[in-house]
Amino acid sequence: MVVGGCDVGSTTGKAVILDGTSILSHFIIPSTTKPETTARLAMDEAVKGAGLSSLDDLAYVVGTGYGRLKVPFANENVSEITCHARGAHWMNPAVRTVVDIGGQDCKVISLDAKGKVVEFAMNDRCAAGTGRFFEAMARVLNCGLDGISSLENQGANPATISSQCSVFAESEVITLINEGIDVTNIIAGINGAVANRLFAMVRRVGLTQELVLTGGCSKNDGLAKALERRLGIAVTTLPQDPQLTGAVGAALIASEKKSSN
Amino acid sequence: METNIKSKAFEELAGAAAGLMNPAIEAWKAAGRKVVGYFCSHVPVEVMTAAGVLPFRMRGTGSTGTELADASFSSINCSFPKHTFNQALRGEFDFLDGLICISSCDHVRRIYDNWKQQLSTPYLTVMSLPKKNGQAQVDWYYEEINILRAGLGEFLGVEITDDRLRDAIQQVNETRRLQRQMYELRKRDRPPISGAEALAVMVAGNSLPRERYNDLLRTLLADLENTPGRSGYRARLMIVGSELDDPEYLQVIEDQGGLVVTDSICFGTRTMWVDCSETEPDPVRALARYYIQERPACPRMNGAQPARAKFVQDMVKEFAVDGVVGERMLFCDFWCAEHYMNKADLKEAGIPFIQIDREYILSGKGQLQTRIQAFLETMGR
Amino acid sequence: MEAIDYNMGTAAHDLTTLERKDKALARYKKERDWFAFLLEAAEMMDTPEGKLQVKLLNILLDSKEKVISSVMNDTPFVAAYFCTAPEILNAMNLPWFMIMETPFLAASAPYLLDDLRGAEEMGLGTDLCSAIRLPMYYIESGLMPVPSAVVGLLSPCDGTTMLQQVLQHNPAWKNVPLFAPDPPYTSDERAIRYFANELRTMVSFLEEKTGRKMDMHRLREVCEESNRTYKLWQEYNELRRAVPCPHGWEIGGAQAFAVSQCFVAGDPRCTDWFEQLLECGEIKVKEGRGANEYCPEKIRILWFDIMPYGWVFEFMPWLEQEWGAILVMDMFSNFPYTLIDTSSEETMFHDLAKRNLMDVPMIRQARGTAENFSSDIARMVKDYKIDCVIWPGHMGHKDGAATAGIMRETCRGLGVPFLHIGLDLFDKRYTSVDEVKDKVSEFFRGMGLG
Repeated sequence: MVVGGCDVGSTTGKAVILDGTSILSHFIIPSTTKPETTARLAMDEAVKGAGLSSLDDLAYVVGTGYGRLKVPFANENVSEITCHARGAHWMNPAVRTVVDIGGQDCKVISLDAKGKVVEFAMNDRCAAGTGRFFEAMARVLNCGLDGISSLENQGANPATISSQCSVFAESEVITLINEGIDVTNIIAGINGAVANRLFAMVRRVGLTQELVLTGGCSKNDGLAKALERRLGIAVTTLPQDPQLTGAVGAALIASEKKSSN
Repeated sequence: METNIKSKAFEELAGAAAGLMNPAIEAWKAAGRKVVGYFCSHVPVEVMTAAGVLPFRMRGTGSTGTELADASFSSINCSFPKHTFNQALRGEFDFLDGLICISSCDHVRRIYDNWKQQLSTPYLTVMSLPKKNGQAQVDWYYEEINILRAGLGEFLGVEITDDRLRDAIQQVNETRRLQRQMYELRKRDRPPISGAEALAVMVAGNSLPRERYNDLLRTLLADLENTPGRSGYRARLMIVGSELDDPEYLQVIEDQGGLVVTDSICFGTRTMWVDCSETEPDPVRALARYYIQERPACPRMNGAQPARAKFVQDMVKEFAVDGVVGERMLFCDFWCAEHYMNKADLKEAGIPFIQIDREYILSGKGQLQTRIQAFLETMGR
Repeated sequence: MEAIDYNMGTAAHDLTTLERKDKALARYKKERDWFAFLLEAAEMMDTPEGKLQVKLLNILLDSKEKVISSVMNDTPFVAAYFCTAPEILNAMNLPWFMIMETPFLAASAPYLLDDLRGAEEMGLGTDLCSAIRLPMYYIESGLMPVPSAVVGLLSPCDGTTMLQQVLQHNPAWKNVPLFAPDPPYTSDERAIRYFANELRTMVSFLEEKTGRKMDMHRLREVCEESNRTYKLWQEYNELRRAVPCPHGWEIGGAQAFAVSQCFVAGDPRCTDWFEQLLECGEIKVKEGRGANEYCPEKIRILWFDIMPYGWVFEFMPWLEQEWGAILVMDMFSNFPYTLIDTSSEETMFHDLAKRNLMDVPMIRQARGTAENFSSDIARMVKDYKIDCVIWPGHMGHKDGAATAGIMRETCRGLGVPFLHIGLDLFDKRYTSVDEVKDKVSEFFRGMGLG
């Protein structure tokens, strides 16, 4: 049975097509201003990639993410919390804690052995600890997101960036640049500051290994390293693209729903 | 608001909750009668009712900003007093003849000081509410109620006799009884009234002349017998928190499939789950005991946390609640710590719980939707 | 940044009683060691001010040792506050510690930021006062010695009421007897009588639960000693009216409050300390010497709150060095020094009630209606020739935040510049020290000060 999962985020739209237990295809595109359009574009590409003729070939589609209510071809929508948990757990059944860092929000999800959500904490009120924050920092440092992520750019003496608010943090970083602080230490400091914030959320929800990062910012190696140091444990890498966990989870739920109908 | 209830009574009640002024208050004032506002459910409305005034529970309904109030409050103050005071500065409360403030919480109690400085409401007073519930506190509040009675009476040129107080207690108890009857219907598998609708009815109770309200309630109860019950919801929820007077907030929750069947909030069960004694010969003593010891407690009462926890858990059983939503407004110290304890207690009792922070005026609907949806999914519903 | 040791965060009720005692004491001892370290530093200062510090720290350390010894020997001791009539505790020979001791006294200790993180990880909203969250964290993590009885605090704010409730909710503290005097909202004779009654009930409670007895003669002695202390304090504060002010933030301000109320109230050592303080001050005034010999006084500040203990060493010296801004007066260094009438038991309870309900700082301003915010500012501005008033705007003062407009109006009426900053007195991550410095500098420049 072929099903689809569509995760419409603020920064990217992700679509996954699943057949039983294999991913037939997936696609990630930058979000447009309209969630319906993003959903359609992503899913159309995924359909093509799977060698299907049209959306109608999909037995069931589940939408998730910030734009989930606007996925016109979805049979139902499920929260991204449930979807990220399912997706990550499917990719690696040993996962018990998911730290999702998206474009506009970040969350920590605690799951049980079956991949069922036990507890979660969200920060969707401000940019601190999200993709927006990193984008702003990349602009200030003029180094691109790759510059912030790459391991070789993480200085040995991370600068302390104490502002809780990303707007103030930007000013702090500008001051550090003006003071001549080594840019690799500033970069390490930025990742450290986000790691601190995530760490607090992890502690609130409860840390159980294995812990994985999902979402667009999970590809930031510098952040992963900083988080590992803060938590004192290794962050497990997922076998598939961690940005797809939400869409994968949505597709898995689509499978279940269709089977039980 | 959207509703399945076909009832003129409900229309009027929902209308009263949706704004501040309403036709019934206009008529009341046109007849030369007075309206006295009050903050907090610990202010004895019976005294105002006995004095012949309409007790109006203060809210910031309809406020679109706090630009005027911002000069008096700060960014770390709760949005409820800011919006309410802002409405006052805009003249929306000019219909009040008096205002009774109380030392309820750090944010709201300062409305008294700022109101005194900036507005000219003819009668303005502040009551001293104890922070614990022993006999000495009942005695203190006994005196406070007598002081209120004397002051309000003097302002109105009316003697608030013991007999009038006894009548008022009966009237207010009648309101409580009718409201409890409405809640009884929500115990059903298919309640004819949603949480949002019920909240509108409760809020209206503090915004209409009492006799009219009681009549409307009776009519509504009859109309509800002919209203189809709600089905197809995913879970039965209980909302626990403070100054929630906006049915739309519950509407957002219920649109996700979480039917709110009961609560412990300032405009909800805490005001009416228990009656004030009609057998105690001294009505002021009855009121003092009721407000300090007998009514369901709120977090400001030191020593009452176990009773509050039990109240929540009893409600969960009585209403077959699947999950508890704890709401609190940002910067609220009382509910921050209360939900910290609620979380632990409910976890121990195996009852799903989620805490959601909010601002007084509904915003961030998408965020609320996501959290509620995730909560329902986590419950496996 | 290294990973934190979570063993300190183990929930208290998972440990045996002995393990709990050790853990709680380990923390308490760590704090004592911090003060012992400060004492060593003070002993190296061969100045009259240095000697004052040494005396103060010795009194503080002595009171801490008494608590430690009580824990070890299972003798009675209580948790209480500076405004729950410490005079009574002294009269009953009960060692006591302040539940909010760490933020109020030791916020510059190196472990404080880790503790704040610990509090955040508990899941408490970060908009709750840090001085409330820290004790909640210590209690929930078993990092506070469990006393024989608790004198709870319900004043001046919502946070303190919740602290008592979280305390009582904790399994290790659930069965510890607690009595919290109820603070009325008004400030008249009726309120004083009511609170005096609460204090009497408190005495019966303590007698029953600790076995220590109240002796009225002893209470009279303590109150008379306290009166002597207060008379000296009043005299000393007159000296601070001098231009230039003989002492700044370091000496004689909040220190004086601590000595009079926070360790042991009504003790000859306190009186002795104040005598020395007065002497120090008098010499400087006679010689016309200002607070900081390297920084001539240019701006006289009223800092209307407690010191920003979380970052005081990074800020206060800068104020003096950069701007010649001297902290002539702050909220905690000044309150009515009304003496206790010791002629009878009745007058003593009456006056103790009045002192602890209406006189002690912060309780005085924040407990009831807002009049004292205005009248205290007005009085202090006049008495101490204040050039500008700073309301630090600590994130926990919710009622104070709602009084900002009133304070601003008061200062406008007095013709004195007013600055509302917005910060956390204990957590420098909330508003960085640099940000605070920038705001203050901008204010001074804008107002043509200094």
